[in-house]
Amino acid sequence: MSTEDGPGIRTSIFMKGCGLGCTWCHNPESISFKSELQWLKASCISCNICIDTCSQNALLSSAKGIEINRDNCTACGECVEECPSAALEMLGQDTGVDELVKEVLKDRIYFEKSNGGVTVSGGEPALQADFTAEFLEKLKQEGIHTAFDTCGFSSKESYEKILPYVDLILFDIKEIDAEKHEEFTGKSNEKIFENLLYISGYIKNHKTELWIRTPIIPETTATNENIIGIGKFIAENDIQTTRWELCAFNNLCNDKYERLGKKWDFEQYGLFKSETLEHFTKLAKKSGVNPEIVISSGSVKNGAQLIKEINNEPKPVDYCKITGLLD
Amino acid sequence: MDMNSAVQTIKEPSKLSKRIKWLRDYYFKGTERKWNNEYSAWTTGTDWDLQFNELTYYIVPEIYAFLETYTFSIKQAAKKVDIPDYFFSKSIPERKAWFLKETVVNYLPQEILPGDLLAGAKFNLMTSMCLTEAEAKQRNKLVYGKNGAREQMKWFHDHGYGNSGATSGHIIPGYDRVLQLGWEGIYAEIDSLYEKLSDSEKISDKGAQLRAMMTSATLVKDLAEKYSLVAKQMAEHEKDAERKKELIQMSENLKNVPWKPAKTFWEALQSLWMTHMLVMSDENYPGPGVSFGRFDQYLLPYWEKSIADGMDREFGKEILKTFWIHANTAYDATIRVGANQGITAGYGQLITLSGIGNDGKDATNDLTYAVLEVIDEMSPILEPKPNVRLHRDSPKKLLDVVVNMISSSQGAPFLLNFDERSMAGMMREAKFNGLESLINESNVHEYSPVGCLENTMCGNDRSGTVDNNLNLLKAVELALTGGKDLKIFIDPITGKKGKIKQDGPNTGNAEKFKTWEEFLSAYETQTKYIVEKCVNLYEVSESIRAKFAPTPYLSCLVKGCAEKGLDVTQGGAEINFTTIEAVTYATTVDSLLAIKYLVFDKKIISMKELIEALKANWSGFEVLQARAKNRAPKYGRDDNEADAMGEYVMDVWTKETWKHKTISTNRRFRPGMLSWNYWVGDGFVLPASADGRTKGTFLSNAICPSNGADINGPTSNTNSVGKVLGGKKEKGDWKDFVNVLPNGASHTITFNPALIKDDSHKGNFEAFLRGYVENGGTALQINILDPEMLKDAQKHPQNYRHLLVRITGYNAYFTSIGRELQDEIIARVSHEKF
Repeated sequence: MSTEDGPGIRTSIFMKGCGLGCTWCHNPESISFKSELQWLKASCISCNICIDTCSQNALLSSAKGIEINRDNCTACGECVEECPSAALEMLGQDTGVDELVKEVLKDRIYFEKSNGGVTVSGGEPALQADFTAEFLEKLKQEGIHTAFDTCGFSSKESYEKILPYVDLILFDIKEIDAEKHEEFTGKSNEKIFENLLYISGYIKNHKTELWIRTPIIPETTATNENIIGIGKFIAENDIQTTRWELCAFNNLCNDKYERLGKKWDFEQYGLFKSETLEHFTKLAKKSGVNPEIVISSGSVKNGAQLIKEINNEPKPVDYCKITGLLD
Repeated sequence: MDMNSAVQTIKEPSKLSKRIKWLRDYYFKGTERKWNNEYSAWTTGTDWDLQFNELTYYIVPEIYAFLETYTFSIKQAAKKVDIPDYFFSKSIPERKAWFLKETVVNYLPQEILPGDLLAGAKFNLMTSMCLTEAEAKQRNKLVYGKNGAREQMKWFHDHGYGNSGATSGHIIPGYDRVLQLGWEGIYAEIDSLYEKLSDSEKISDKGAQLRAMMTSATLVKDLAEKYSLVAKQMAEHEKDAERKKELIQMSENLKNVPWKPAKTFWEALQSLWMTHMLVMSDENYPGPGVSFGRFDQYLLPYWEKSIADGMDREFGKEILKTFWIHANTAYDATIRVGANQGITAGYGQLITLSGIGNDGKDATNDLTYAVLEVIDEMSPILEPKPNVRLHRDSPKKLLDVVVNMISSSQGAPFLLNFDERSMAGMMREAKFNGLESLINESNVHEYSPVGCLENTMCGNDRSGTVDNNLNLLKAVELALTGGKDLKIFIDPITGKKGKIKQDGPNTGNAEKFKTWEEFLSAYETQTKYIVEKCVNLYEVSESIRAKFAPTPYLSCLVKGCAEKGLDVTQGGAEINFTTIEAVTYATTVDSLLAIKYLVFDKKIISMKELIEALKANWSGFEVLQARAKNRAPKYGRDDNEADAMGEYVMDVWTKETWKHKTISTNRRFRPGMLSWNYWVGDGFVLPASADGRTKGTFLSNAICPSNGADINGPTSNTNSVGKVLGGKKEKGDWKDFVNVLPNGASHTITFNPALIKDDSHKGNFEAFLRGYVENGGTALQINILDPEMLKDAQKHPQNYRHLLVRITGYNAYFTSIGRELQDEIIARVSHEKF
């Protein structure tokens, strides 16, 4: 159950594998196309059965707990099967389209009542275009609202396959400057903007809706030039978007990196102050886009949002003057 | 949890008038008050007289150790009521009716609190059993004697079966009839039934019962007259002109009601309160489960009339607020018990709001909203407990109010009941028992919950909704051992060791079972046995109550009693079930799933080894325990295979339950799931279970998945619950809905505040509730997680594997994120409280 990836109550499917390598990525487990093993410290009972089970010598016990030698690990899943406490988990499961459709339809009633549906996210679902298209097509046949969350870095053909079955596209624009984009994500943004223009053109003749999302990340995308630049691009190219969402940085994925044996560049950063997020939102509204489409989301530091509502109620009518109160 | 501290940080009352603020503050002063409504005890003055009816507390294991103390300290404290010479020549119900009336009218003071708009204060009583020496001797032997009710009840609980006892309260009296007919009309009905009796009937028990009820029916008349006089005298001395007017009006109201039909909203509430409080006096049982039914429906004509006649809507709410204060004084019974001035959450004078109406359309009205406003403005306050009925066509406005109240209170200040599933259960119980003339398509929407969520009809139904609480898990234990306790019972107080005996049927040595089916067959046999054991135990207290403890005043308010000439305690009500509330449901399902998975499917261990592990409370078997907990399938994840086991367990125990009737009172047993707090306490009684639970940890609560098992979120949890209740079929019990538990089932889900943080999320939450109508159970308690819970989750992550923390764009299981981040979230959530 998700309420953050599109309208209403949704089920989000995360597809593994992404062509970008954003330094701030919040779903590091979905960058690689391969299945990846992770170890959950809180669940481990230190029985070491996994070490005996592993035929690849990929696991060893250390003072920190179980360490995974990722060069050796083939993600065969034997240890996951044997782990009594479910402390070892395989991220990424192979599944068939029909199986997945059946699973997500269990929550159909909540989609219907909330005008929600299913969101395919990732990773980059366009990189598994055949599967994604078939999955979304089957959902459309069932009358389910579909959302498709993309970083924009995929082939035009993949979008051609998928778009006919999509009601809502969630499209990420992270950085307007091509060089910076390459620095932050490993790839230039050229192809992404091409795809955005293609999708925007497609939308003109279709009922599909487009939302653009920009992650506001400290010391990378969180600059005035970037926000103004993206806004200008949207305005000047008449991008057919009905929402531009500025998503504030959060640091909750720290441990995901730790569990995957990776280091995260942003572990030292805290949440934005609410003023900072407000500042970028104001900039975005003034950048040339229709200001009504700009919204911001995400948590900010304690304080501003938590101001107690001032009690502005009318004074109660006093129906009696209490006399002779007991002491 | 300390209620006061939680209360102050979560929600504060608002918009209270000076009057209500004073009354509310005064109430919460507790023992510091000069006035209170503590028990007073009254005796006929005979040496053998007793007051305390312990049968009604057999379902409260916490007080087993004090039964003797209560019995004799109350006896000692009792003041004498002068009885007439002929007293003991009358029948027991006639003595009881006379004694209550005499005590209430002539021995108790009549008091009106400052500013109060309703009269009716002292009602927590311990009255004489009114027995003759011979009757008392007979009763005492049956209760306290060898193999008596007390001894049998204790054995049942000590050995982990649960508890059972003929309990008071838990009924919706026919209050609507009192408003319409007045007690005058009720008296006239009983009188005319009495006049129709033959002479021989008149001298029989039947005649005695009706005479007793006529005495009871005049109680309110005499009491209201006295209160009317008090109000008048107070008015005479009152200097404040406004208050003087109020007191005069109160005096006038009391001249009319409850004896005559109510004419105004004020009169209706006065009539309702006085009638209601005397039920608690009659039963010597404050609060628990004496419920109001469809409060916003039967009071609506009076509300509308008074508003049309010029009553200010806010003043109507003001009267309601004094009604709320009165209802809370029930807690004064135990005002000196515990740290919180005896105010526990355990009473439950339930009011029902909204729901489907006469024409099949939604019945929400202005009074519904007024009552919700009263609750919101008074909260936190415990009584009366509201239950809001939702259904497919519940208006958006109502859901908006409901969700806003939930979000501002860190948890619902009410329970939610779901009509379609509930009504399906009521239709089913009618069908199974030939009660279609009393419960059918045309009136099933008139059902209401009592106590918390236990569905019954109104004014003619006593279904013993808390009387039997059976641990289904005991049958799994007995199937593993071939009908014996797994562990020797050691008395926690004396340390005395019991012996292991062949208690249940010998279903064979489980270690030799070759197939899963053999085990299941043993489980079914043992389930049959524990249900029978419960039924037999209930008969003991039920038959004693029927003979010695009538409640003629309450009987006047329950349709069927006058007609049959039977007290409500003798099965007088038209609808007359008693309910077995299954406890440990998910623990039982998960234990069966684990045995199947570990021993039969995966063959990871032998049955012998599993039994050894359970006997050792998993000590030395930690790896196996981890497998049972984490690898075996679990109910509550919308996993069809696991939930099929849930359906199986449900089928087996409900079928056994329906087979039985009480002998003394002819009440059929019906199934439900309430669990109250037994899932906590009995966790210390029942040994380790195959689902990986150690002795001393919680069992599962009512129909909820085991603690932490619902790792797939609230929608999956809900889907599983709806499924095991019967789901939907083309031809269901009511429309396409099936419900195998007519009593209903308690379901609690915990949500994160982020889910209701803004209007669009509130909209989603409303949609979830509408989805719950279709896919979920009969009743839902919503918890919004709070910092205390998160702190507990840090200490006991195994219990909170399901707890999702939501930050925009990102979901995480609380227990899987690092300590520092957990602390940060706690800090953030804590802040959101203020």
